[in-house]
Amino acid sequence: MECFSLLRSDVPALIDHLRDFGEVIAPHGKGDVSYSFEVVRDSSDVVLDYNRTLLPLKKMFLPPVEKLMGFSLKNESFEQVEVAIAPRVFFGVHSYEMQSILRLDHSMLSGSAESNYFKRRQSSRFLGISFEPDEFHFSESVGIVIEEMEGFDLFLNEVDGDFQLYVLTDNGQEMLNGFDKINLTEPEIVEGRHFKKKIRYHYNRLPRVFQYAYHSDVWADVASRCVGCGACTLTCPTCFCFDVHDHVEVTAEDGMRQRSWDSCMLSTFAEVAGGENFREKTINRTRHRLFRKFKYITDEEGLPWCVGCGRCTAFCPAGISMPDIVNELIQEDEKAQYHRTVRV
Amino acid sequence: MKRLQDVEHHETEDLYYPTMCKVTGAKQITEMEKWYELEMPEGQSLGHGPGQFVEVSAFGIGEAPISISSSPSKNGKFELCIRQVGTLTNVLKNYETGDMMGIRGPFGKGFPMEKLFGKDILVVAGGIGLVPLRSLINYVLDNRKDFGRLIILYGAKTPSELLFTDELETWKDRDDVELHVTVDQPDETWKGNTGVITTLIPSLDLKLNTTIAAITGPPVMYKFVVMSLKSKQLPDDQIYLSLERRMKCGVGKCGHCQINGVYCCQDGPVFNYVDIKPLEEAL
Repeated sequence: MECFSLLRSDVPALIDHLRDFGEVIAPHGKGDVSYSFEVVRDSSDVVLDYNRTLLPLKKMFLPPVEKLMGFSLKNESFEQVEVAIAPRVFFGVHSYEMQSILRLDHSMLSGSAESNYFKRRQSSRFLGISFEPDEFHFSESVGIVIEEMEGFDLFLNEVDGDFQLYVLTDNGQEMLNGFDKINLTEPEIVEGRHFKKKIRYHYNRLPRVFQYAYHSDVWADVASRCVGCGACTLTCPTCFCFDVHDHVEVTAEDGMRQRSWDSCMLSTFAEVAGGENFREKTINRTRHRLFRKFKYITDEEGLPWCVGCGRCTAFCPAGISMPDIVNELIQEDEKAQYHRTVRV
Repeated sequence: MKRLQDVEHHETEDLYYPTMCKVTGAKQITEMEKWYELEMPEGQSLGHGPGQFVEVSAFGIGEAPISISSSPSKNGKFELCIRQVGTLTNVLKNYETGDMMGIRGPFGKGFPMEKLFGKDILVVAGGIGLVPLRSLINYVLDNRKDFGRLIILYGAKTPSELLFTDELETWKDRDDVELHVTVDQPDETWKGNTGVITTLIPSLDLKLNTTIAAITGPPVMYKFVVMSLKSKQLPDDQIYLSLERRMKCGVGKCGHCQINGVYCCQDGPVFNYVDIKPLEEAL
């Protein structure tokens, strides 16, 4: 692994250089306080210091709305959709975001491996960037430090306002060919970046907490505050549930089948024709969301399916906090342990 | 954890394109249910097992999971029986012979036939639950010597809601089928059993070590049937249940059919009772 120094003022030149390898997608400011991953038109528009984008990077691999096929009502036939395989470079990605893509890989490619997702994912390269955690980030609590470089080809670590550029893969090496604004240097360890939000236990102790959490009183409390809008799941970078709808043109001759992001937090998510709803109450849905992040997949894969980006908390209109829920479950579990051990 | 580099391009699948199948037979068999026979294109076979399901689609309306009602031993064609209860199924009502229906699948795990060979089969069907179980029943009848007793318990709300009445007559007349039918609300012509399906269970004489129960019915039914079978001392692992959920994609992705951490479309819809007993959302 090589490490180079790069001046902050030369980052736009690096972005321009990367455009030779495909469309570059990077964080841009949106309004006063929001950020979004967008295709780079002008490298000077790219934002290097941002807390989080509203929509996660998954939107580039699992689009919010995606055409699955076109169809003709008249001929009772359909036509396939070609998913373009264009090389893309994702620039300025935070470590938790990269980890979410690796988790999405598992979700979309294990069992039946989905071709649409695979094609979009296959030709992608990633350049990571360090960040200053705000009051919502807690990725360290789920095992993802700021400088976690797994999945990246290149990584920019900010040191005293400028950057150290780590080359992590052959693809990363290739992308730097012919770029002369970097100088070989010794990697430095950056001190002083701390996560303000924390889950009290190491994540490897959470499966045990969740083992006893199913009937916790915490769920009723969360459910009493939840408005059921689904923002937590729609902004979650590892949520991948979707619905499928047919859309008919006004001519009533042609149309398309589309899939769109769906949310297990919406009240009709588990409802079947005839009206039976298998997760009818908010309490069941809030619990399901947390169990999806910390128990069900985690039991099989050994990793939390939450990456600690803080989106579900930052964008919740009711102020419900994912790490606070986990900490409450921990506290409750500690109390239960006390009562189990202290016999009156 | 599955990683991108573990996957080759040829291992990926176009998961959402249907196969257009021709309707070769259609008949409204009750007020709410219509039976269809379908044919795959170019002599293909659906290749399903009893208990599996397909995603049926009508362009412009959408897709829904539907149980396969015919035995795999019926060659070339397969059958569905669809209750008109939602947007899609109310459109499918109008489908007749010659129309084309979009089909994906078969999906999920059906009844584990290898574990059923040589056993007494106790079928417990409530209402439209007979549709997937008919696949199992006809498979057993087509391979009759491979199985022990075939006991069929079938309950419907009213006599007019009984499905496959011609076949019920045939089964009743066979010496090697023990058929017990009951209705909740009899009419003046009804001469058979009345009451919910669990009333048929106490008087059954079951050989506990060789009996496998296969249960399908409305969600409310399962708990009571399982309780009745347990009070007959039938071991948990000899009970199989086929569960209904919103199986939207059929391929373990969309999330709608999850029962706790289990995808009903992948690990089910047919489950061994032992496997779903710990799942709080199952029954």
